[in-house]
Parts: sequence; C-alpha cells; structure tokens
Amino acid sequence: MAAVGDVRDILELESNSQEFITKDAIFNDLKKKSKPKKTDVNFKKPEGMHRELWGLLWTDNKDAPPIIPTDTNQGYKQMKAKIGQSRVRPWKWMPFTNPARKDGAIFYHWRRAADEDKDYPFARFNKTVDVPVYSDLEYQQHLHDESWTRQETDHLFDLCKRFGLRFVIIQDRYDKTNFPNRSIEDLKERYYNICNILVKVRAPLGTDPKIRVFDADHERRRKEQLNKLFNRTAEQVEEEEYLISELKKIELRKKEREKKTQDLQKLITAADSNMEARRSERKATKKKLLIPHKISEKNITPESTSIKFPDIRQSGVSLRSQRMKLPASVGQKKTKAIEQVLEELGLELNPIPTDDIVSMFNELRQDVVLLYELKLALANCEYELQTLRHRFETLAPGRMPELGISGSILDGSGSSRTNTESPTTKLSEAIDVVSAPSTPTNTGIIGIQKKRKAAIEQTNLLKKLKQKT
Amino acid sequence: MAEYCPDPGGRQKGVTIIKPIVYGNIARYFGKKREEDGHTHQWTVYIKPFRNEDMSAYVKKVHFKLHESYTNPNRVITKPPYEVTETGWGEFEVIIKLYFNDPSERPVTIYHLLKLFQSETDIMLGKKSLVAEFYDELIFQDPSAMLQQLLTAPRPLTMGVYKHETDFEEKKKRTMSNLTGAKNKLQIEIGELNDRLKQTREAITKFKEEIIKLEGGEDIIDT
Repeated sequence: MAAVGDVRDILELESNSQEFITKDAIFNDLKKKSKPKKTDVNFKKPEGMHRELWGLLWTDNKDAPPIIPTDTNQGYKQMKAKIGQSRVRPWKWMPFTNPARKDGAIFYHWRRAADEDKDYPFARFNKTVDVPVYSDLEYQQHLHDESWTRQETDHLFDLCKRFGLRFVIIQDRYDKTNFPNRSIEDLKERYYNICNILVKVRAPLGTDPKIRVFDADHERRRKEQLNKLFNRTAEQVEEEEYLISELKKIELRKKEREKKTQDLQKLITAADSNMEARRSERKATKKKLLIPHKISEKNITPESTSIKFPDIRQSGVSLRSQRMKLPASVGQKKTKAIEQVLEELGLELNPIPTDDIVSMFNELRQDVVLLYELKLALANCEYELQTLRHRFETLAPGRMPELGISGSILDGSGSSRTNTESPTTKLSEAIDVVSAPSTPTNTGIIGIQKKRKAAIEQTNLLKKLKQKT
Repeated sequence: MAEYCPDPGGRQKGVTIIKPIVYGNIARYFGKKREEDGHTHQWTVYIKPFRNEDMSAYVKKVHFKLHESYTNPNRVITKPPYEVTETGWGEFEVIIKLYFNDPSERPVTIYHLLKLFQSETDIMLGKKSLVAEFYDELIFQDPSAMLQQLLTAPRPLTMGVYKHETDFEEKKKRTMSNLTGAKNKLQIEIGELNDRLKQTREAITKFKEEIIKLEGGEDIIDT
C-alpha cells in the first residue's frame, strides 16, 4: 500500500487517501484487514485426541489446522506503525508569545504550519489562585487575632498571592526579621481561617457557604509522627518489630487459652447432660422395668460431641452392622481408647447387630469417648494446677492451707487415688492419655520452670509495650 | 428363575423392612492332613434367613468369592440353600454378595473370615464340627412396590423345625444386659471424672486469683 502511495506521490497523481497520516488511520487500516471470519462449526475435535493437542491445532481464529507451517502476519507484531503512507506535513519557524508572561516577550520555535494561528499550547498550564482580598473594615470587624498583627497578615497574603499558595515556599520567603518565625501549619491555619471567615461573612443570607476544613493540630501531630518515624534508629526499628511479633504471639496464646476453656466447658456440659439423662432413665426404669431400651431411645444425649454415627436414611438395602461402624473421622487415639475400654468391660468389638443393640452400642461408645475426653481434660487441668501450685508456693510459701483446696485435688493423682479406694478397676485406667503430660511430679518440674520463665518474660514484654504506647 | 422383568414401581417412601440373616461357616477337621493336596478341613460357607422363610423370593443370586487359589473362585448360587462346600487348609476372607430381584437395588456385600481352627481339642480331633456364624439384619429402606410385595409374602423354607447352630436370641439378651451394665458403669465414672474436673477447675481459678493478688495485679497467668 505504501508503495502505491509513494508511486502516486512521485507521479503527482491525485490520491484519494487521506492527506495526513493519523494514529486512527493506521489502526483502522489494520482492523480492516482482520475481518471476522466465518466460524467453521463442522470442524470438530477428533475423538481420542488430547485436549492440549487440540488446543494447539485449533487456534482462536477458528481456522482448520494448517498442513504445512505458515507464517501469518497475525500475532504480537501487528501493532507496527506503517510510516510514509501519506504526504509530509510541513514545519515552520515562527514567533510566539507566552500568555503567562506579562512583558509580552516574543520567542521563536518550530511548529507545524497547520497550527500557525493557534495559541501557545502550554499556556493552559498557567493557573493562578484566587487569593481573597479583605478591606480594612472587614479586618477590624472579623479578622482580628491576638497573635497576628495586621502587617503580618498582609505580608502572608502577599506571599500567598505571589507563590500561588505554595506554602513551603511561602514559609521559606517569610520575613523572619520583622515577624516571628512561624511553621507552615501556623501560616496555613491563619490563611484558611481568614478565607473561611470571609466566605461566611460575604455569603448572602440563606445560602450555605463552602468552608474549607484545615485541622492545624492534626497536621502538626501528623508531621511530628512522621518525624519520629523518620528519626528512629535501626535498633529501635528492630525492637519494635520484635515487640509487635511478641504481642501477636501473646494474643494468639490468649485466644488458644480461651478456646480451651470453652471446650472444657462444653465437655462438662456434655457430661452433665449425660448424668441428667441417666437420672431420668433410672426413674423411668423403676416404673417400667420391662422396656428399658425404649426409654434409652428417648433419652439419647442431645448433643454428644464425641462420635457422629452416620444416619443411614438413604433408600436401598443395607446391613444393620454397617450402622455401628466407627466413622473415619474418629481418630486413631480415640479408636484405641474405645477398644481398650470395651476390652476392659468384657464386651465384643462387634456385638450382634439388632436395632436396640446397635443404638445402645453406639451410645456406649459415645460415652467412652466422653470419658476419654474428660480424662484428657482432667490431665491437662491437673498439670495446670500443679504449675500454679508451684508458682503459688514460690510467691507465698506456707500459705497453701489458707486456700482451702482439698488435698486429693492437689495430689494430682486423681484417678489412681480413687482406684485404691474402690476394689473395682477404673475404666478410665484403661485409657492412655498419651498426648498430655499427666503427671507433672517428676519430669514436669523442669517444664514448669520453663513455663514460669516464659511467663515472666511475657510480663516484662507487656510492660515494655505499655510504656511504648 | 422366571425371565419376566416387571416394572418395579416407585420407591415406597417411609417403608422399612428388616430381614434378619445368618451367615458364616461350619468346618470339620479330617483328623489328618490329606495326602494328595495337603487339605485338612472340609468347610461350608453359607448365608441363610434367620427366620424360616424362602429367601429366593427377593434374592436373585448369591455370589461367593473364594480365595484365588481355588479353581473358579467365583461361585454363584441362584437358589437356596445358598452355600458352598469345599475342602482346604487355610483361613481366608470370603466375600459374599447378595443380589436382589429388584434390579434397581444394589447388591449387599458381606465379608466373612472363614474359620477352620479352634484351640479346643475336641474340634481338632474331628469329633465336632466348628461353627463360626454371625447374625446380621438386611434393612430395606423405601423398597419398590414390587420388592415390598416379595418381602412381605414369605413362603416357609422348610416344614420342619428351623434352628440355627447358635442361640441368637440368648446372645441378644446377654449382649443387651452386658451393654446396659457397661453403660451404667461408664456413666458412674463419667460423673466422677466430671466432678473431679470441676473441682480441679475451681482450684485453678482460686490459685489464679491468689497469684494475681500476690503478684500485684499482673493480669497474665499463662500455663
């Protein structure tokens, strides 16, 4: 195309193309080229071909895959501008005046001949600010300020006008010999106060004047803050980061502790409701001894958090024994605990599956898990108790009896103690609470000391944090 | 089996039919190792109804999958008695698959560990055959109208007395009473542990309060 244009140009033939090349012209030209092609719906992916391979062959322009490699001009290089399609536009050395200048100085520059009569294009950037002017009367009535004299205010407004409200420059050029040294905020505050007062005073009755808000105090504090931030030493930055990370840790631990207490409360509520159920069951069984299973059906513990046996209500045939399968969500430790207790109780792991027995057996295992969780919680609590006891003893030696806590609780060997009293072995004994350090008596002391140390460190940290803020 | 395949009809919502079954195996010791193949036991693996009724009314076929060392380990039985008798020398898991006359019902799979050996000497001597059988229940939840009919009109399997090797009724009773006892025992312990847990918690809060007092208002007790 360019060649045709050039030839036409050389031969001085009338060309019907545009006089001057523009950006639009170039892009339109390119767009025309890529006409929307008809989509060939008939061409489908052959069966068995991988999607990835098909994606390579079946390009976006919906062409059938080429048999021989082709080089199309489509792709990333299509945005190349084609130059030299139309006639050259002439430039001219010409004079101009900048309207921003008041002296009317004339300069010269190169410019397109077509733009000869137009204004200097950069003149539009010459913005001026309207700085309000006040009369003597207005000043005396409204603008009087204890810390500002009329002369200084005039000086400020003069500078504002001269430097177009560029307060950094205003502050720099401020007449510091005749007037006190003022900060940028002071200057701004005075300026905007006056502007606002004037707007208010001059506003016609009934209209809402536009007020410019300038919070000088806030600005001062902001700059002070930035200054402090800027002036920190590397060590201070490091310390701050360390403190923040420690604070996060402390908060995390606090949350964990709260969650633990909640879980514990849940557990106790579950155990309580279990006991309730049992009591009512007993009363009922006294009345109707013959049908104990029906009552147990009614009294299924409302929310046994332990095991959720799948409620098979799906249509179809199933085996009853499937309903007493432990769900996969029950962990290995729990499963083991259940097995241990069942063994201790002399029960089969898979009893004969009738309706009553299955529901009874499932309830029983839920109870076992409750027992397991209770034991675990108790072990944790006893450990905590021992830690606290040590701490208390170091703080106030010999004052332990004043608290009135029974010795059996303090012993921390709760389950074994009851064991010695009653001849029957305890079921919970069969459960290994492996995860918790249940006996802090010998190995625990080191751990306690460590924890104490950590706690003391934490208090110091918090003190530091408080000081910082 | 009849070749007809009637429309099973829609599922009867809310209908549940229970069919108790008994499955397992009996085994008899030869008394010695057989010379030609080393087999020691003859056994029969079976599945039968708990009550005296003809299961073929609703069971299309039973598929017993034996150990792969047997020649054609897949044995399909289409009419009662649903059992496979073989000889062997080892225990393995038999997979029993029950197919139903309603084609829309999926088959039910039972796994049974074939039992041959028992420590009791009289069985070892081949005097009495060993029984390892289990009770289970087929639960038909929302069966189709056709299947429901098949399930509810049973024909007796035999006119004579129908008995199992194991006294399941007795076993049920015993299991139930064991479970009840165990549950009571567990609940007493749960109560004890719970009380103890509560006491411990109270002690903990008491200690915490005291320590806070002693340490002059520090609010961090971390254990």
